[in-house]
Amino acid sequence: MGKTWKGIGIAAVSLALMLQMACGNSNDGGNGGKNESASAQASGSENGGKKVKLKFWDFHTEKEEEFFKGLVDEYNKSQDDVEIEYSTYNQTDYTSTKLPTGFASGDGPDIYMISPGDFMKFAKSGLMADLTPYFPEGAKEDFLPASLDAVTVDGKIMALPYELELLGLYYNEVMLKNAGVDVPKTWDELYEAAKKLTTNKVAGLVIPPDKGAYLNFVWYPFLWQQGGNVLNADGTQSTFHSPETAKALDYWGRFFKEGLSPTKLQNGPTEIDNLGSKGAAMQIAGTWAITRAEEVFGDVPINVAPLPIPEGGQAATDAGGWKFAVNGKSAHAEEAAKFVMWAFAEDPARALKWCTEVKFAYSPRKSVVEQGKAIYNQGMRKVFTEQIYDSAIPEPRYPSEVLDVVGDAIQNVMFGKYDGAKAAEEADAKINEALKTANK
Amino acid sequence: MTPKRISARTRNEWVTAYGFLLPNLIGLFVFVFVPIVYALYVSLHDWNALNPKAFSGLDNYRKLLHDDQWWSSIRITLTFSVIYVPLLFVLSLLSALLMNALRGRTKGVARTLFLLPFAVTSVTSAVIGMFMLDPRNGVINRLLGLIGIGPQPFLGSTSQAMLSIIGVILWINIGYNMIIFLSAIKEIPRDYYEAAGMDGATGWKSFRFITLPLLRETSTFILIVTTIGSFQALDQILVMTKGGPANAMEVSVLYIFKQGFELLNMGYAASLAFVLFLIIFGLSLVQLKLFSNRN
Repeated sequence: MGKTWKGIGIAAVSLALMLQMACGNSNDGGNGGKNESASAQASGSENGGKKVKLKFWDFHTEKEEEFFKGLVDEYNKSQDDVEIEYSTYNQTDYTSTKLPTGFASGDGPDIYMISPGDFMKFAKSGLMADLTPYFPEGAKEDFLPASLDAVTVDGKIMALPYELELLGLYYNEVMLKNAGVDVPKTWDELYEAAKKLTTNKVAGLVIPPDKGAYLNFVWYPFLWQQGGNVLNADGTQSTFHSPETAKALDYWGRFFKEGLSPTKLQNGPTEIDNLGSKGAAMQIAGTWAITRAEEVFGDVPINVAPLPIPEGGQAATDAGGWKFAVNGKSAHAEEAAKFVMWAFAEDPARALKWCTEVKFAYSPRKSVVEQGKAIYNQGMRKVFTEQIYDSAIPEPRYPSEVLDVVGDAIQNVMFGKYDGAKAAEEADAKINEALKTANK
Repeated sequence: MTPKRISARTRNEWVTAYGFLLPNLIGLFVFVFVPIVYALYVSLHDWNALNPKAFSGLDNYRKLLHDDQWWSSIRITLTFSVIYVPLLFVLSLLSALLMNALRGRTKGVARTLFLLPFAVTSVTSAVIGMFMLDPRNGVINRLLGLIGIGPQPFLGSTSQAMLSIIGVILWINIGYNMIIFLSAIKEIPRDYYEAAGMDGATGWKSFRFITLPLLRETSTFILIVTTIGSFQALDQILVMTKGGPANAMEVSVLYIFKQGFELLNMGYAASLAFVLFLIIFGLSLVQLKLFSNRN
């Protein structure tokens, strides 16, 4: 009997460990309600007026964290009605646990950041306030229409885009020259170049090998360049079962199957360090890589070109980037929305500082890009501005279930389980299934 | 059983004993039992953590019956367990025996060396593992190259990922289990071996008929704990391959994690966690039964 109990004890502990994650929220949430009422309550300020306290949760670090902290300080000093409390968290925890548990317990932030992958889930749960009425006059027209379309649901603008990160093909000029390879412009050229550049020590082309939102993000342009897409225009039906999908999958998979692209990376797939360490000759990466390439790897001859296109295809690149959102369930959504607009829809100086000084990205606002012209034409930035920017398509905001299925399809081809056509066919039904679940 | 008269002294001992246990019991209740019951409650709901929970009865459990990915994750978990547990068991026992045979100063040094990896946190061990297993620059491929074997993809291959990860987890855990075996071996009186020696038993025979039977309790403990551990392996897998490549290492706990935190299907994830609990619970009981029956 004693042993049975011991066994039950062990098993109970094991369950507890296992369920920790399922129950983490309940523990976190235990005292949640109280905090919210405390923070929602206006607290008296020196001048006798009442100050509304708002919580702003972020995931940025270092220079970028400093920027947002600075914004908050500046805003807090600029007026007496609202006080914003800024806190920042590890990026992985931010979307997977911090935000969901915060919102579930009613203790979520008033202001937060959202990525395309989580967009629909939050929008549909009422966790994004309609920002349309808060745009300052004339500001909406300043934004690129596509950038606002990407955050509009049922005619309502649910988040404020503040950066566009575009993909390009980075390469090591000297390595290409030594191998007698021209900068690839077509798919065939890219493949041939990767083949010639691959050695024991050098990877021909670095593209993301691990499943995840970034893998999909980098793969989409290969589909778009041929006119294919994952879903139909209104996002209700899969269009994945197509020759374009099969071709994009097969093309992508070839690089891994033939050892031209590593299936495992020591540096993250987003890091330009792959080129900086001279461990790779070419890499698809985003505008974010420029600053690091210049500041840290100034001695490595890195340059950038538009993504190569298939025969008869058209240029396309992916434009990613986080968006500012206001909690639709916040008691002070209006005050929060005003801050968000103040930060990135009013004075272009703040948006310009973010996109050119703090990091390098494109602003979705025409006036900002115009003002920063000098910077947008420096070095590699010029390539993005002149040759890539116009072909940018905002990252689609597919439900995470769909992301998952598409990610599986890419991986299945990369690791030889299916060929492109079979993977596209298999994923097609699953995407429709996933859409049904997601739209429940 | 007829109730016995309890002396004041016994009662006092009880009070003291429960007094000492109380803080732990409260902790267990608040942080273990309440969450378990809550998880069961959540598993009966459709809940995405953002909206209020909607009661859905046994829907989640019905869904998991037809969820191919779930069953594939169970298959991967079982495969992992079937390879990992015996390997860990044999290797820790073997190293404990060797360690026991060592004499003098080398013993302390060797023991420390074996135990040292256990002091490394799992995530750190995973990162170190990734560096060593890196296909281009990793030390393992360098070593293989010395004996004429070409570079292997390891974590970047659907067929090698599991063994690679098992290798890293073994490296961390052998030392700890070795110490447990070692202390149990030391408990065995030397007389037994001497007596057996006089009867002509040596080496394998005294191991087979003295050491092994007297290690039964320890072996049971280690088998159960490592089996449970193997079902819960998550951190190293998450860090090294995130369940990839191509979902080849998507073990059940990882799939539960994905359902819960990537897809925000909290109710469904809770039901999966509960089923996994039942599986582990059942396995533990079976193991316990098997080993205590032989007594």
